[in-house]
Amino acid sequence: MGSRDATGDSAGEISHLVPDVETLARRLAAVDYLADEGLATSMYLSLRLPQPLLLEGEAGVGKTEAGRSLAGVLDTPLIRLQCYDGIDAAEALYEWNYPRQLLRIRLADSAGEELSEDDLFGPEYLIRRPLLSALQHPGPRPAVLLIDEIDRADDDFEAFLLELLADAAVTIPEIGTIRATHPPVIVLTSNRTRDLHDAVKRRCLYHWIDYPTPKREVEIVRRRVRGVSETLAVQVADAVARMRDSDVQKPPGIAEAIDWVAALDLLGVERLDEAAVERTLGSVLKYGEDQEAVRAAGLAKLMAP
Amino acid sequence: MTRSAFSLRTIELDLPAFAAALNRRLHEAGVPTTAERAARFASALELVRPVARRRLYCTARAVFVSDSSQLRAFDSVFWSVFGDREPPPEPDDADTSSSPEQPAAAEGEPRSGAAADGGFADSSKPHAGDDVRDAVVPMVASDEEVLRGKSFDALAPDELAQLYALMARLGVATPRRRTRRAKRDRRGERLDMRRTLRGSMRTAGDPIRLARRRRRVVPRRIVMLCDISGSMEPYARAYLQFLTSAAGSGPRAEAFTFATRLTRLTRALRSHSPERAIQRAAATAPDWSSGTRIGEALKAFNDRHGRRGMARGAIVVILSDGWERGDPALVAREMERLSRLAHRIVWVNPRAAARGFAPRAAGMAAALPYCDAVLSGHSLDALEEVVEAIACDEPVAPAMTQATPEEEDWASATPVPGSSVAMPSGYGPSRGRTTPGWGSDGGE
Repeated sequence: MGSRDATGDSAGEISHLVPDVETLARRLAAVDYLADEGLATSMYLSLRLPQPLLLEGEAGVGKTEAGRSLAGVLDTPLIRLQCYDGIDAAEALYEWNYPRQLLRIRLADSAGEELSEDDLFGPEYLIRRPLLSALQHPGPRPAVLLIDEIDRADDDFEAFLLELLADAAVTIPEIGTIRATHPPVIVLTSNRTRDLHDAVKRRCLYHWIDYPTPKREVEIVRRRVRGVSETLAVQVADAVARMRDSDVQKPPGIAEAIDWVAALDLLGVERLDEAAVERTLGSVLKYGEDQEAVRAAGLAKLMAP
Repeated sequence: MTRSAFSLRTIELDLPAFAAALNRRLHEAGVPTTAERAARFASALELVRPVARRRLYCTARAVFVSDSSQLRAFDSVFWSVFGDREPPPEPDDADTSSSPEQPAAAEGEPRSGAAADGGFADSSKPHAGDDVRDAVVPMVASDEEVLRGKSFDALAPDELAQLYALMARLGVATPRRRTRRAKRDRRGERLDMRRTLRGSMRTAGDPIRLARRRRRVVPRRIVMLCDISGSMEPYARAYLQFLTSAAGSGPRAEAFTFATRLTRLTRALRSHSPERAIQRAAATAPDWSSGTRIGEALKAFNDRHGRRGMARGAIVVILSDGWERGDPALVAREMERLSRLAHRIVWVNPRAAARGFAPRAAGMAAALPYCDAVLSGHSLDALEEVVEAIACDEPVAPAMTQATPEEEDWASATPVPGSSVAMPSGYGPSRGRTTPGWGSDGGE
């Protein structure tokens, strides 16, 4: 925690911007992200402690969006690292600029000068990947680093992240340890395809994002799809809530609800009816079996009062 | 951080003592807590004014909980340490419907005026959503179901140890798959620029020696689903041993038990001491030797784990006799889903050892078209065959079809107890009658 002193000014900036949980929630709402109290508290603590925040939840409940909105609130760049199987340091942290290094060698050769390894492996030959750019963000407020779907990466990569999560620092063998001047706000998301290692969890705050209540969902949908009628938004939120309660393989998330409303809006639908649902079902249920199940139960049921 | 702005002292509660008590009680309830977390909680409390119990709850939850499976245990501890047994209801919809600029907490407790306008979206109550909350398998036996926990270690200790020692030698290994991660290899297919360049410095920048990389090959994940219902009782203990030794084989093993509900045992079994692993598993699985609902268990597995990626490309081993209390159609449907995700499905049925065995059990008959292998695994020798079947990496064969449960040609053709094996991928007696895709109409 020795980095606290060096980062006093950016911590001061943040505490000025979000003095308490309510302010953060209000500012998030101003960028159209409606967080409940639990999520707002977690995000607030993550900003102020500071500590990485691990978000889990069903697909489409707004995990990634939470990171994006946080960047919006802080008015800093969002640096996103999408994880995938086999991601490694060269893709996440840094890579050397080989063509440039080769040219340098040629140049030194033709000029007859002595070239040491230190000359060649210096910062000017470094290509910054997301993690390094987040650490070296010039400030004054820290960047938001979104490490998305970390469960898709393998456990070697998790171990590689530990130094970043704990100390906001990374070690590049040729250069040494690079410590962040403005430690980034780190948000990790996971879809729980596998358990994360305890060492990662220990370094993070944790929050499980639930589905919102239908009323809140109406509000979210209306903020995301401008100009949509309240009637339609309410009907969609109710229908989506019923789909979640029914026996579907992939319950629709908020993202699907927003897509659905956008689709209906585009088609000029003002009130949900069976024909409209039938035409647009594919934007909310993405499995053939799920569509069949909902049809078998009767589309009218989705709109029953 | 400006401490003076916060009015922690106004709350009539000894916060350090409360934090310590909470930490201890959480630890007792099985939520992993450390001194580090307690200290973090203290700093969190300095930052967040716990103006209401709900806020205190959110703060503590953010700090102490590190997995959704711990939420239930955490909730019960928190509300027993602090306040009512039952958590107060979340702010009602009625007063936050129109605008986000509304009071967030409505617990009847007075809130300081400045902090009163929140902007919170009220998510569904942390306790109401059985669907979401139960979508997570609790790692710690949290509350009511511990009482049904029956000790797994009723086998004589020396027998247990012997059996385990033998099973540990089985060496479960799965077929391999290529990852996207590369490693150094002299004859790899990709150029390793970083090392090539470094080497070329010695030769004035001319890359004479090309360093190469090759994509790494790793074993596939193995997912084991073990039936521990009443009808499986004579075998379940031994199978649990098998699970333990297989789960110890590496980080890519996942173990579940099911009877009336699905319980994830992966963590419980990952221990160096088999006895302790089994004791822990006993504490984790609350439905030991009750009825079976294979279809629902498979559905729960597909919904919570398989669909998200656990079963994708994995070897799935199901240990069950196929006696289904529920609807066999559900078993068929979920097996079909699973077979689309998994690399291979191996079904271990101890009843397959019996002379004249036919998959008459409704669940087994329904599942059969989607199995890549059905084995008995009722003895240690038979378990070795299971291990072979797991390691076997043939392309997924067309599903075996069983015209009707009464026709038992493939089973009775191998009447030797102990070696009754049906391999649908080519050398089963019913090979000539196997029709791809014919499966589900005849099997039920």
